[in-house]
Amino acid sequence: MIKKIVPLILLLPLISIVALSLGATDVSQLLRHIFNPFLNPDSTSHQIIWQIRAPRVAAAILVGAALGIAGSLAQSSTNNPLADPAILGTSAGASLGVLIGVLTNLVGIGSAGAVVCAAVGAMAATLLTFSLARSALQLITIGIGVSAILNAIVGITLSAVSRPDARSISFWSFGSLSLVTTKTLYVVAPVLVIATVIAWKSAPTLDLLSLGDASVRHIGHNAQRIRFVAFGILAVLVAVTVSSVGSIAFLSLAAPHIARYLCGPRNRILVIFSGLVGALILLIADTAARSLIPPFELPIGLLTSLIGAPILIATLKKSGDVWR
Amino acid sequence: MALINIENVSIIRGGKSVLTDFSAAIEPGKITAIIGPNGSGKSSLLGALAGDLPISSGRIAIDGRDLKEISVIEQSQLRSVVLQSRNYWLSYTTRELIEMGQGRDERKRVDSILQKLDMKRFENQSVTTLSGGEAQRIEIARALIREVDIYLFDEPLSAQDVQSKARIIALLKELRDKGKTVLVIAHIDKSSLAWCDQIIDTLAQ
Repeated sequence: MIKKIVPLILLLPLISIVALSLGATDVSQLLRHIFNPFLNPDSTSHQIIWQIRAPRVAAAILVGAALGIAGSLAQSSTNNPLADPAILGTSAGASLGVLIGVLTNLVGIGSAGAVVCAAVGAMAATLLTFSLARSALQLITIGIGVSAILNAIVGITLSAVSRPDARSISFWSFGSLSLVTTKTLYVVAPVLVIATVIAWKSAPTLDLLSLGDASVRHIGHNAQRIRFVAFGILAVLVAVTVSSVGSIAFLSLAAPHIARYLCGPRNRILVIFSGLVGALILLIADTAARSLIPPFELPIGLLTSLIGAPILIATLKKSGDVWR
Repeated sequence: MALINIENVSIIRGGKSVLTDFSAAIEPGKITAIIGPNGSGKSSLLGALAGDLPISSGRIAIDGRDLKEISVIEQSQLRSVVLQSRNYWLSYTTRELIEMGQGRDERKRVDSILQKLDMKRFENQSVTTLSGGEAQRIEIARALIREVDIYLFDEPLSAQDVQSKARIIALLKELRDKGKTVLVIAHIDKSSLAWCDQIIDTLAQ
């Protein structure tokens, strides 16, 4: 296990350095500024690297980790390889929450208020799916339904409003890290840490769910309660990511599968690996999104799909026994 | 006195009546088989005895206490349940799955059960690669490492080869000889159930 986790952890700073050095503008004395954050704080190079690029790199890592963990919680709690926060309705609920908050001028995108709106929306939508579903499988089918309804409402609202900031809202709704500031990090980082600790603590009970609800009950546990805790953490994680960078496709689905290939199905270790894999993919995808055809930005969701999907397919092909 | 009393129990699933006015008394310290053809409601009956399915009328009592009044945790200390095997998509090993959610005492018994059920050779193999009979033995092993008074089995022999059948029957007899109560759901005919002490036919009522 250590043999596998060390390279993953080492990859993060390495790719971060690459990410800091790539961008729309050429930076003089690039590496000196990267390796010495206190060099000439007033220079343009310092400002581009540490004020513009660094928060974005950090956000990609944190958001990617949050989405990876959320995905592993979704799959383990529903005992279904197809589950992710987008399918359970959580992401759509968070989007609708933020949209309502922004359109009623209560909050701005990326603010702490938006996180609260997203959390309320994510919790409400997840709870709706949860209360309507009678079995683990129904969580998926009803979740798809809830998701579709909420996404339709978000889409219709976005097309109907004619506000100058509507464009930025619709840009955000497809997912983008370009609106990230240092303030975003102050919100995402603590939530991620707390959620990860709770997820890690409750992970062994999630293992039980693979026995099936009846067998869980037979040994004196309550499957719905285990699921409820996981959904709570998942909703909070999705809320902070959606409110700060919008909904990013595919990452939550792919990261846990890739992680499981590396570390096996045990949830304690899976939570950590899913976070690491999610962070790495989003960091690579976002760096590509902003540096492939500068100064334009490619939609991040397309790149997470383009990078994540081949790795996902390759790991599933190779592991062979996961999807029987 | 009977340990498990099934009194005029009816079960309705999905609007359809699967068991009507069924009564039986399960003696303690014996192996009892409940038999009947497919669709005769015997698996539903096991579900009701395990506390998974609600009964629409009648009463199930264990040791004189209404099952409804026994908490989930107390039920887990009273009986062990073996369901028919399920499909796994996560590649836990056989051993991991058997030990999952079990206490320290239960985990101490894993090795001897693995031995008795001839599961040693695939104890570290991923459960996604097992045959139906092997996966079924995981359920049996999970139940047998628990020290309880009542053991409920849903078709424990259905996917087993001749040798495994003999091993499982020997283990059930071992439980009975220790004074445990064993209830087996089966759709096999009476002639192959010579090892049972009591046979109840769901169709006979």
